Amino acid sequence: MRSALLRVTIVMVLPLLALAVAQTPAPKITPAGAGNLAGEATKIDLEKARTFKPPRTESGQPNLEGIWQPRTSGAAFSILPHSGGFFLGQGSETGIVEGGVLPYQPWAAEQVKNRRDHVELDPTGHCHYEGIPHALYFTFQIFQTPSHIAFVHENMHAWRMVYMTGEHPRDYLAWMGDSRGHWEGNTLVIDVANNNDKSVFDMAGHFHSDQLRVVERYTLQDENTLIWEATLIDPKVFTRPVKMRFPLVRAAKDYAIMESGCFEDERDQAHLKDAAIPANHYKEEHEKEKK
Amino acid sequence: MAAACALAPAIHAQQRAAETPYKVPRTTDGKPDFQGIWMARNAAAFDVSEIAEGRTIPYLPQALEREAKADRVDPTAHCGMPGVPRITYMPFPFQIMQRPGYVVFLYEYLHNHRVIQTTPREHLDGIDLFLGDSVARYEGDTLVIDVTSLGSRTWLDSARHMHSDQLHVIERYMRTGPDTIQYQATLEDPQTYSKSWKISMPLHRITEPGFELREQECLEGDDGRAIHPPYRPAPKS
Repeated sequence: MRSALLRVTIVMVLPLLALAVAQTPAPKITPAGAGNLAGEATKIDLEKARTFKPPRTESGQPNLEGIWQPRTSGAAFSILPHSGGFFLGQGSETGIVEGGVLPYQPWAAEQVKNRRDHVELDPTGHCHYEGIPHALYFTFQIFQTPSHIAFVHENMHAWRMVYMTGEHPRDYLAWMGDSRGHWEGNTLVIDVANNNDKSVFDMAGHFHSDQLRVVERYTLQDENTLIWEATLIDPKVFTRPVKMRFPLVRAAKDYAIMESGCFEDERDQAHLKDAAIPANHYKEEHEKEKK
Repeated sequence: MAAACALAPAIHAQQRAAETPYKVPRTTDGKPDFQGIWMARNAAAFDVSEIAEGRTIPYLPQALEREAKADRVDPTAHCGMPGVPRITYMPFPFQIMQRPGYVVFLYEYLHNHRVIQTTPREHLDGIDLFLGDSVARYEGDTLVIDVTSLGSRTWLDSARHMHSDQLHVIERYMRTGPDTIQYQATLEDPQTYSKSWKISMPLHRITEPGFELREQECLEGDDGRAIHPPYRPAPKS
């Protein structure tokens, strides 16, 4: 339990480092969920996944339940090939995008540059929901029933329900979109629509519009390896569909999804850094506002 | 004495039959089934004494004094997690899922969640969490959740009823019908209350066909910060 707790604490503290780093020496940390845990590299083997007979739930579906830790080589920093570094995490020669290129339309490519120069606009720095796929770069737990499947994320205390019934609602946009799933053989296929245009793919300025549609495919490669593949379609921003994939590994037995408290804008992150709201804070704020 | 002892089980059984005529459905692994989308229908999020036993909270004088000097803005105004038990009576629906070894609460309110293990374990020590450290167990038809490590930052309602980091909450969920759960929580906090006290309320299933929880995100935009005026004026010293 204690080791799980430590890892969780690190995940909670990670977003605050950007603020803390100016004053304090950088502690040596390994972000648990960011996919750069020490250990042997996990390779995707689609042939193995095709022949693997997955365990089944009591209602007969392939059993994807458990706590999953993505191996994205720092996709939270950039989903494209990138070098490593303190703010970039572990470097990656491939990124998670097939071909290593995002087919942005010319206007959108300009936007990406602009966003890269303004990291302060990154909504995750303001404690917002990350959206799909961004939320998947961090540890999450799956709970399954025949009619609905819950994805419970540690980071940003996010959760999303995948409904195996019904249709995408009309006139509804959400950070995490609206997820409708079905089984294709042993693969869970999820159609994520109703995405807003505020969530982003990473900290490197890669963004999408509210026309984004993500079709995710989850397949067990073996008992402890889950393959995530996705096709992203966004006719407003991309010139063609984009494919992404990365493997996830089952977390250690003592791992538990815990509370990750991230609220509001940077001001509150500073408060959380002290693990408490300073005495008289609100009083001072009120007085400032009165002036 | 012997006669009384012999009678006791019979009376007990009779009482039980009268009190719990509802046969609680079971999950596939034989546990009482609480799954579905539920919601409290009361105003306890504004003033918890509404659902308190005897409608009073047994505050210690020093706790009232401490409270009078404390912050005056409801932490939920800053999108903070509301803590336990407040999350249960926030006026928003929540969904319960039960899986072997787990009970999962997914709250629409600020996308909070609690993933609770139903296998016995010791509480975490030396950590303050907004929604606490929860350990669940089944006692017959009742789901009992023991919650510690709640910190002192959350309020019980927007009327500024507070607690210290010594708060210990024991929640009980009991099915009373196809569409109702009776919720009861015992609150112990030797630094704040003179004795333990209880709240209780029904939770109602949302029976609208096809009803699904939607996303609720707090404070969109860079300065969506809302400072609300104090709900309850400070007592005059």
